[in-house]
Amino acid sequence: MLGWILLAAVGLILVWLVVIYNGIISARNDMQNAWKQIDVQLKRRHDLIPNLVQTIKGAMEFEQDTLEKVVSARTKAVAATTPSSKAVAENMLTQTIGKLFAVMENYPALKSNQNVIQLQEELASTENKIAFARQLYNDLVANFRTRLQVFPNNVVSSLFDFRSGEYFGADEADRAVPAVNLSLRK
Amino acid sequence: MPLTFIDIEKQKSWRIWVFFLVLLSLYCVLTALVAAAFLRLPWHGMQQSWLITGLFALLATGTHFWLSAHNTVSTVVKGLNADPPDPEDDVHKMLLNVMQEIHVVTGNKRTIQCFVIPSLSLNALAVADLRGNAAVAITEGLLSRLTRPQLETVLAHEVHHILSGDCLETTVAASLFGNYAFILEKLNTTSSGRISVSPVMYLAWGLLQLSYLLKLFISREREYRADAASVRMTRNPIALAETLYLLSRSWRGAGFIGSSFAMLCIVNPQTTALDEEEGFWADLLSTHPPIGKRMDILLAMARTSYSELRARLDRTTENTARTPAETQYYALDPQHTWQGPFTLAELGTQLWLSPLTWITKGQEPHVDRAWKEPLLNELFALRLSQQGCQATSLTCPACRQPLLAVPYEGTQIYQCRFCSGMLVATGKIPRVLARTKRERPCSDRMNSLAKAVVTENQLAYARHSLTANDGKAMSYLPCPQCANPMYRGFYSQAYLIVIDRCSFCGFTWFEQNELEMLQCLIENRIVPDISDTAAAPPLA
Repeated sequence: MLGWILLAAVGLILVWLVVIYNGIISARNDMQNAWKQIDVQLKRRHDLIPNLVQTIKGAMEFEQDTLEKVVSARTKAVAATTPSSKAVAENMLTQTIGKLFAVMENYPALKSNQNVIQLQEELASTENKIAFARQLYNDLVANFRTRLQVFPNNVVSSLFDFRSGEYFGADEADRAVPAVNLSLRK
Repeated sequence: MPLTFIDIEKQKSWRIWVFFLVLLSLYCVLTALVAAAFLRLPWHGMQQSWLITGLFALLATGTHFWLSAHNTVSTVVKGLNADPPDPEDDVHKMLLNVMQEIHVVTGNKRTIQCFVIPSLSLNALAVADLRGNAAVAITEGLLSRLTRPQLETVLAHEVHHILSGDCLETTVAASLFGNYAFILEKLNTTSSGRISVSPVMYLAWGLLQLSYLLKLFISREREYRADAASVRMTRNPIALAETLYLLSRSWRGAGFIGSSFAMLCIVNPQTTALDEEEGFWADLLSTHPPIGKRMDILLAMARTSYSELRARLDRTTENTARTPAETQYYALDPQHTWQGPFTLAELGTQLWLSPLTWITKGQEPHVDRAWKEPLLNELFALRLSQQGCQATSLTCPACRQPLLAVPYEGTQIYQCRFCSGMLVATGKIPRVLARTKRERPCSDRMNSLAKAVVTENQLAYARHSLTANDGKAMSYLPCPQCANPMYRGFYSQAYLIVIDRCSFCGFTWFEQNELEMLQCLIENRIVPDISDTAAAPPLA
């Protein structure tokens, strides 16, 4: 009789281990899938930028510097591989594109060009998709980390070699605390 | 936690089973009644008859359920005349892009179609069906008024309804009884209040009443949840609050979106006092929470207040367009309920609007026919030209719109496209009446209508001749050609159909159905039936 109870207990523990392990694995797969989604959107942005530069190059002769910055930022972003280096390069690219759009406001001919309007809409949409994909990815990373660290999951996860996910970092410039001088002396 | 707002909200399929059981018991009772009344089945100790009844009810329920809930998305989309967005169109392209963005933020859990409803009203709705299709539809009016971030919040709200499963539940509830109600309402508006009375209509009417009861099942809470989820996805509570503010002050499509689909919408198309209340009964009976409360919750998330939001929005509208506020119109629809407020353009798109519709303008107390508004008259003229009709120089004495030359019984007469009145040259009337080999033979309905009308007229005539002229001024219709008042009287002492006649121009005006009734009277020799009713009505 006692043997049966023991056997049942061991069986239950095994089932419980399997459930926890599967939960962690599915969380990890969701996270990795979300990372792929970011990649898809980033790739799309990289493809759109040369088109935009081609279209506006003629009209913006005096802004070659801004355009070059965009192109070089894109090249760097394409070359980056790890999540953290990618985050830095992509943030750089986002900033330069933002500047480019601001400069474009000064060219009425560009603003009424149908091609430019469409490209701008596409880029705006892609920017949003990147932001949303990042948001989803970060949420899933948080979920995965929680899965690994809470008790009793941490016991199970320590048995296997799970590496915790890496967040897609926020913009360094955004994160920096603004220096405010509160002293009244001049 | 990621997407917990979606994962936690388990599919509420149990409620769909409740709907099924309600329908099943309904059909059980119906079948049992029919069997007891007509088939005279022996009920005592006959398990077989019970079994047959049960099986039949199950079959009927299954068919009904399958027909209504299986392919609802396309039914609703067709019912609203919605189209998929046009990628060539800039605004529609934005909608497509935003929809893709929402797919990204939800992790591509499910493919959701989107549609545009060609209406100037401001509303959006979500539908899902048992086949697994899901769609979000947004009106052209709302699409054009929203900024990109605002559009994101609206779509996120609707998509959450779909992903959480409560959309499937409401769609099934709405379509189970509502599809028929929707068709009934459409019929009502297009046939200008005249519907043939048939058992099918009674059944549809019953289902319509049942669909109102279903509101008990639909909780208001889900709107709060969808708002919260929308903020969770877009991280932009202010944009959603701005959208709700805009919706609260505009026409939301009452009369265009069937009332049975109201619960699918982001805000209730019908403005009801109940929706703006709180408390037990309001919570139970209403499907949408008060917009004010929804906005309060959103603004609290953004740590701002209603007055700040309003000040900001009013400032932006002042800056962008300093046009004088457009006049608001209200109109009496064929169901005799006042609809509005509409701008003139919105009023013009209402299919039921005719020159005889009663309308009122802004805060003015008096009510008038639509043809007295010159701008609307232009619109009616436009409608005629769009239908490819050749207008004549004659005007309808009731609607004041051009009459159209139409063939009738082999000769030519003039007809009003709006009120269906007919103008016949007096000399041509004998031709029409003589032609008994008719294109359109007398229907039973026309015969009974003619009988009722002549009986009524006979009584009125008898009373009139006894009490003589009571001195009331009659309103005479103007002649379509010379605009002088027309003589009003019966066609003849033998055929008591009221006609208006201008003896200068030689025209006779028949209101809707009057000419056909006259034809039926002559053809079928219908006489007034006053034998048993003559004594009944008291003399005025």
